[in-house]
Amino acid sequence: MAINEKMIEEILNKYPAKVKRNRKKHIVIRDSARENQEIEANTRTIPGIVTNRGCAFAGCKGVVLGPLKDMVHIVHGPIGCAYYSWLTRRNKAKTDDPKKNFLAYCVSTDMQESDIVFGGEKKLARMIDEVVEIFKPNAITISATCPVGLIGDDIQAVAKAARAKHGLNITAYSCEGYKGVSQSAGHHIANNGLMENIVGEGDWEEPPSKYTINILGEYNIGGDSWEVERVLNEIGYEVQVVMTGNGSYEKLKNAHVAQLNLVQCHRSINYIADMLEKKYGTPWLKVNFIGIRATIESLRNMALYFGDEALIKRTEEVIEKELAEIEPQLEPYKKICSGKTAFCFVGGSRGHHYQGLYEELGITTVLAGYEFAHRDDYEGRDVLPHIKSDADSKNIPDLHVTPDERRYRLKIPVERMEELQKKIPLSNYKGMIKDMMDGSIVVDDLNHYETEEFIRILKPDIFSSGIKDKYIPQKMGIPTKQLHNYDYSGPYAGFRGAINFARDVAMGFATPTWNFIVPPWKDKPLLEGSIEQCSDDTCVEEVGA
Amino acid sequence: MPRETKHYRNVNENPCNMCMPMGGILPFKGIEDAMVIIHGSQGCSTYMRRHIAEHYNEPIDVGSSSLNEKGTIYGGSQNLFQALDNIRKVYKPRLIGILTSCLAETIGEDVEGIARDYLKQRGLDDFPLVAVSTPGYGGTHSEGYWLAVKKTVVALARPTEKHDGINVIVPNLSPADIREIKRILELMDIKYTLLPDISETLDRPIARPYTKIPPGGTKVEAIRRMPGAAATIQFGITVEENVSPGRYLQSQFGVPLYNLPVPMGVEATDMFVGLLAGLAGGSVPKTLELERGRLLDCMVDSHKYNAQGRGAVFGDPELVYAVVRTCAENGLYPAVVATGSGNTGLEDLLEPVLADCPGEVRFHNETDFAQIRTTCRETGVNIAIGHSDGKYLTEKEGIPLARMGFPIHDRVGGQRLLSVGYTGTTMFLDRITNTLLEYKHKNYRAAMYRKFYRNTGIEERGHTSLMGQAFGSEECPQLIPVLRGELR
Ligand code: SF4
Ligand code: SF4
Repeated sequence: MAINEKMIEEILNKYPAKVKRNRKKHIVIRDSARENQEIEANTRTIPGIVTNRGCAFAGCKGVVLGPLKDMVHIVHGPIGCAYYSWLTRRNKAKTDDPKKNFLAYCVSTDMQESDIVFGGEKKLARMIDEVVEIFKPNAITISATCPVGLIGDDIQAVAKAARAKHGLNITAYSCEGYKGVSQSAGHHIANNGLMENIVGEGDWEEPPSKYTINILGEYNIGGDSWEVERVLNEIGYEVQVVMTGNGSYEKLKNAHVAQLNLVQCHRSINYIADMLEKKYGTPWLKVNFIGIRATIESLRNMALYFGDEALIKRTEEVIEKELAEIEPQLEPYKKICSGKTAFCFVGGSRGHHYQGLYEELGITTVLAGYEFAHRDDYEGRDVLPHIKSDADSKNIPDLHVTPDERRYRLKIPVERMEELQKKIPLSNYKGMIKDMMDGSIVVDDLNHYETEEFIRILKPDIFSSGIKDKYIPQKMGIPTKQLHNYDYSGPYAGFRGAINFARDVAMGFATPTWNFIVPPWKDKPLLEGSIEQCSDDTCVEEVGA
Repeated sequence: MPRETKHYRNVNENPCNMCMPMGGILPFKGIEDAMVIIHGSQGCSTYMRRHIAEHYNEPIDVGSSSLNEKGTIYGGSQNLFQALDNIRKVYKPRLIGILTSCLAETIGEDVEGIARDYLKQRGLDDFPLVAVSTPGYGGTHSEGYWLAVKKTVVALARPTEKHDGINVIVPNLSPADIREIKRILELMDIKYTLLPDISETLDRPIARPYTKIPPGGTKVEAIRRMPGAAATIQFGITVEENVSPGRYLQSQFGVPLYNLPVPMGVEATDMFVGLLAGLAGGSVPKTLELERGRLLDCMVDSHKYNAQGRGAVFGDPELVYAVVRTCAENGLYPAVVATGSGNTGLEDLLEPVLADCPGEVRFHNETDFAQIRTTCRETGVNIAIGHSDGKYLTEKEGIPLARMGFPIHDRVGGQRLLSVGYTGTTMFLDRITNTLLEYKHKNYRAAMYRKFYRNTGIEERGHTSLMGQAFGSEECPQLIPVLRGELR
């Protein structure tokens, strides 16, 4: 069913007037006739709205820092925040040296009431000593949770002292949960910290191979980045570091040598992408390795950037080989999926990325949105100069970087850069809205109430989201696909990942379970005929039949 | 029973507990048409919802006052007012619980005062708004749970006419457990008010139409009438006096309190059933006697396997007590008894239960899994019983884990685990025995090797677990022999 403004009004009428006015600006019906459709995003969450957003700490420690595997990530604060961010994202990692993978550890100062009253700096300092002794990590991060800033613990000073004492890269992130309006603030804080303290610390001056790249904004959920790297390696690329899925301090410190940075999740990492360009002259390319077409396009764009005939040829060969492998496998799933509709509401990039893959399976996305994205993720980076900064965004200052005197190299001539930018998303992202179909809905920061209402109106065949919201549609009898941690499945990226995704989605439609929801006695009479008409034995037979 | 208690480090490495407001959410999910808001920044409530949803596989709606930097300076009452307005408008709850997070507490919010102001300003004299101060650093989720139950009782209980119902106050058990307790009460013909009742709300059948607040839960009216009850049965022998709802009803309204252990195991279930028979002046129905007989049959069948178990039991103090006691009845004695909570009563309470325990028992309060792991190694534990985070013991030490309690986030069905009453105990013991048996069969070859091939030159090879690679653990020390057949 198509949706119109009036229906949205009706949904919003349930809110108090002020809330209604606010929420209205976060909902847009796609209309390609209008050139720039504006949406409000990255503004304060309405209290009591039952949002799916998290906090700055979650974005900093949970998302960006957490996956770096050879570092111990200390959470300075009371125990809860550390506990809740412990292994909850399925960011996988492997190390050659099994003693240098600390992802299974949750390490916290476990502040008590007395620490809140008297301060926790000393405890933190003692704890760093212990962590160095017990784990011998390659580096340490310290993330602050809400109380830390309020009681005035100077974690930066503690980190600095510890760095001097242990001769180890120990950095602090003031990512208290109340900063900013969502986890997005935390991404920014983590980006600044990594750029300031780790990227460029290494002593490499030259890339180790001809096509050295970094992958930014890829967190290796369910092994995604391994599948992407498999294909990239086959083509002949060398991945210096993935930020930050399966990433490491050891690799990250030499990230400056790459000749190109790929950006998968624009929201969480665009700051580093931008800073790498300013500081080392490395452009970034917006890629999308979710979906077959998107993967192919991304690979071709990369080859075009390097402009090397052999590489372009090799890229086509690999694409052909991969397609030959997966296309026959995909067919049966397509048959099951074709003609269905989906909701796609995820964090800050997947709400966009998965639409293409759905489309390839024959599934139309009728509603999409992000939890914590900014306007540029919806409308494209062209909108950046027009975004007003407010008190919340000013809280997280931009880190101003300047060209590195020794290491800045223009990777490609300015003219070629300009020419390429006309063809490929080089240092640019066009956002989600432009890719959406007319009449579909874009919702920012969707909450439980609206989820339920939109489902009633649009009756999607599948709902993709996170774990908190997936149980609502399921209770309503609608299949779901968790796109934060993939319901323990994956990988979904790249060629083979697309097959996994198709299989999982098709299974959601095809499971016979849905057929049993209405009990037979509510649906139709259990036995045909009436008691008087049958003799004793025929009745027995019918019951048994 | 020789005992030993904790040591202290600065690091909490792999915690064994969550924070106070997390525990506070659960009781409000067991009150009819109730909603709950966490006053603080929104991250806490999002994280907690995520974890609770993963355990129960249910939507968990919890509001947040979404405090931001400005709120930390000027106070957050405006945000909390707004949150209350919005929750009331959209969810139409008949009770709202307000919990605080570390942030609200650190900036010194007087949440009870704000709640009173709100009711006054909105002219809602009778609306039940239950404010509970639950700083995350003030205790674990276990304490948060009990405090929220107590504050609910304090807020609602009023002097009422005496009636012949009884109050049943339960700790954080599974919905299946609560259903079993209710079934026993009903079999015994007891009129009761069970608080909090998550049996339907957190294990909701697929049914249309979907409602925002799941049907079920303790009725607000019934809670108001708790002071008129003939007695209170509280399954909370580890509960400290200051947060004990049953004690409050006793001291304020003179309701006799029977503070019992969770009805798990023969004795504790006997105590519960016997008390009900006494209170109702009736006899024990045949059904329950049959169930008791089956439990004993199970115990006779299983004792030979269970006696080989050396257990590590961890989790909420109340459940730890019940599990240790149940296992001990069947000859499975613990070597490690651990809780993340600072509740120190466990050790003394378990003293009589473990009087006959042949081995050493080590107690850890306010502990983490790093410590539990070390002790497990030292004491030769071969079965862990507790919530999902104990999987760490399996990954690192090869100790099998029988999952039990909250949270269970790496398996399905935590909400359906039945462990109380005679029938539940039977099912619990079967799970334990089968875990031991599976472990035994898996390690059969290792044991055989040690017995027959050691020093023969046939090599035993360390098994590198996949987990070990993915998570980078040290080599799993549990050795699996590979008989290479090449004698040197
Ligand atoms: S410990 Fe405190 S700040 Fe952390 S999640 Fe719990 S209430 Fe929130
Ligand atoms: S909002 Fe603050 S207290 Fe809550 S989880 Fe985030 S950092 Fe922790």
